[in-house]
Amino acid sequence: MNLQSNDSQLTGFLRKNGRWGFRNYILVLPLHNALNQLADQVRVHHPATAIITSVAHDWSGEVDSDWARISRVFSGFAINPNVGATIFIGIGTPAEEEILRNARAHREMPITYLTLKDAGGFERLEQQVMESVSEVLPLVASVKREPAPWSAMVLGLECGGSDAYSGITANPALGVASDKFVELGATSILAETMEILGAEHLLAARAKTPEVGQAIIDVVARYEQSISYEGIDIRGAQPSRGNIEGGLTTLEEKSLGAAKKAGNAPFTGVLDYAHTPTEAGLYFMDTPGHDIEQLTGFAASDVNITVFTTGRGTPTGSAVIPTIKVATNTEMATALPDLIDLNAGTIADGTQTVLEVGAQIFEEIVAVANGKLTAAEMGGHREFNLSRLYGSTL
Amino acid sequence: MINGYLNNSRGIGVRSHQLILPSVVCSTHLAKKVADQVDAITFSHQHGCGIIGPDVAGVNQYFVALASHPNIQSTVVLGLGCETLQGNEVTESITAHHPETEYVVIQESAGMAGALESSVATARALQENFAPQHTELKTLTIGIEGFPESALINEFMRSAEETGYKTVLSNASKEPSKNFADLVRSKCHVIISFPDANQPPTGLPLIPVITIASSQSMLHQALISEFDFSSSLTASELLQKVVTVANGELTKCEAKKIGDIVVPRMVRSV
Repeated sequence: MNLQSNDSQLTGFLRKNGRWGFRNYILVLPLHNALNQLADQVRVHHPATAIITSVAHDWSGEVDSDWARISRVFSGFAINPNVGATIFIGIGTPAEEEILRNARAHREMPITYLTLKDAGGFERLEQQVMESVSEVLPLVASVKREPAPWSAMVLGLECGGSDAYSGITANPALGVASDKFVELGATSILAETMEILGAEHLLAARAKTPEVGQAIIDVVARYEQSISYEGIDIRGAQPSRGNIEGGLTTLEEKSLGAAKKAGNAPFTGVLDYAHTPTEAGLYFMDTPGHDIEQLTGFAASDVNITVFTTGRGTPTGSAVIPTIKVATNTEMATALPDLIDLNAGTIADGTQTVLEVGAQIFEEIVAVANGKLTAAEMGGHREFNLSRLYGSTL
Repeated sequence: MINGYLNNSRGIGVRSHQLILPSVVCSTHLAKKVADQVDAITFSHQHGCGIIGPDVAGVNQYFVALASHPNIQSTVVLGLGCETLQGNEVTESITAHHPETEYVVIQESAGMAGALESSVATARALQENFAPQHTELKTLTIGIEGFPESALINEFMRSAEETGYKTVLSNASKEPSKNFADLVRSKCHVIISFPDANQPPTGLPLIPVITIASSQSMLHQALISEFDFSSSLTASELLQKVVTVANGELTKCEAKKIGDIVVPRMVRSV
């Protein structure tokens, strides 16, 4: 394969838990929806705004049947390797302290926890968060970019707004890049469980062990069962109306195309939502196809770059992961230029091969890892969603 | 007497907000940019795509309830284009009753810069074409959230009803932001919130929320200045406050923009 990896070199920020980051953010993470506005204000008004990131969400402290999932996402997100320091802002509850403990247990880094209860008011808390950003700033800035091994890469594979081109242009080209990273000793994660439905047997056949193969079959069956409890048929919602307008006819057709993002490498393992891979290789993670629930789960799993293929065009990004958008068709890439980083529609146009675009995606991933900003980053996109099961026990 | 706003087809409200309604998570970021530029309200959420079963109709109905509230003067629906819950259908459901509604879709706007430009122009045109007028509000509807002390609230409800006001209660959840969903649907003009002991004062962008601290809560006592009242108030003081807020005085949460809209859901995303 004619990929330029010999000339390429990753550079990143080495973290104390051995992970590598390709960004070096200070994250202001609110732990209650009443604090969303405050986090946003700090990000906007602090002089170091360029390296501050923040999120908003709808959680208001409830500890219900989704607590384990929510807690894991907050603590995992806070210690994503692209984050140099995290400032949690909360109300002052035992649930928040549990999130803190889990974050601290998995990575040694500057973590601050400031509460409304201790501050005694919103203005005072905002002032404390501003001061805290200033305090950690020199520590964060003291960590410098350095040459990183290929194993530093934890690549997330995503698609959203798929069309009939996805399975023949952007997805197989991303598969070429993913295979190359896996071959070089990096980690790559395919996800979106309901979007491999109908293709799971093909992925299972690529598992390194029979147990991993069975696990791929099982997560798909489990997900489908978990939404069938009220007599809902997934095939009524998939492919979505946007997919159908884009020329996709069945869920199976969509799945066969979606699975192409993972190339041809063998599967090392299956991960639960927001769980971190422990060794290098290709994984499948059990996530919703919902773009942002998936992206947030990736962020909580140490993913440090995501490539997101799209047929219809979507602007979203993550507060902590650079997200590269690859268009599946030239028409959309031309119509929505400020959403797209790379056009794989040239494959359908007949002007480039899958291998050539795959090589281009590989080089784009390296360039973005080394600091090039994505369209979503330039647009300031920081979407963040909590994935809930709403009482489903599966 | 309450000096309200005739919010066009939505009736008489105590505020006159324009709502920038992202019909899918993918347009929430654009919605915030638009709202900041035209001084409208909006909220971030994670719905509209990857939803299934009862949530498709449920999310749509809640978006329509928000856009139909009497404190809203007009609505701009922002969609992406390829999502499950189609923005044009959300818009049609709203427009059926409230013609002061427009729709902008990102995938047909030449990208984010184009979508921002056309959304801002659309929002401004609506504000100009459908300017609200001041008018007297005769029947004020007051929402009550949480767990108030019974003696206080019984007396309050009695005197509110004597004055000709309606009251609606909601306390199914410990989290105020979840109870607010019922109160939005009830079209109440003002909310009085008695947050659970472990909850901070929380507001809502479209309805002014008067927050009352609990004397039993260490959190509330630590944050007492962030509440509109301590618990030692009388029913008549509370009613007077409701009228003052209905006449335009900002509540503490309103002034600081504390609190977001939480959309009720039933089934996991796919």
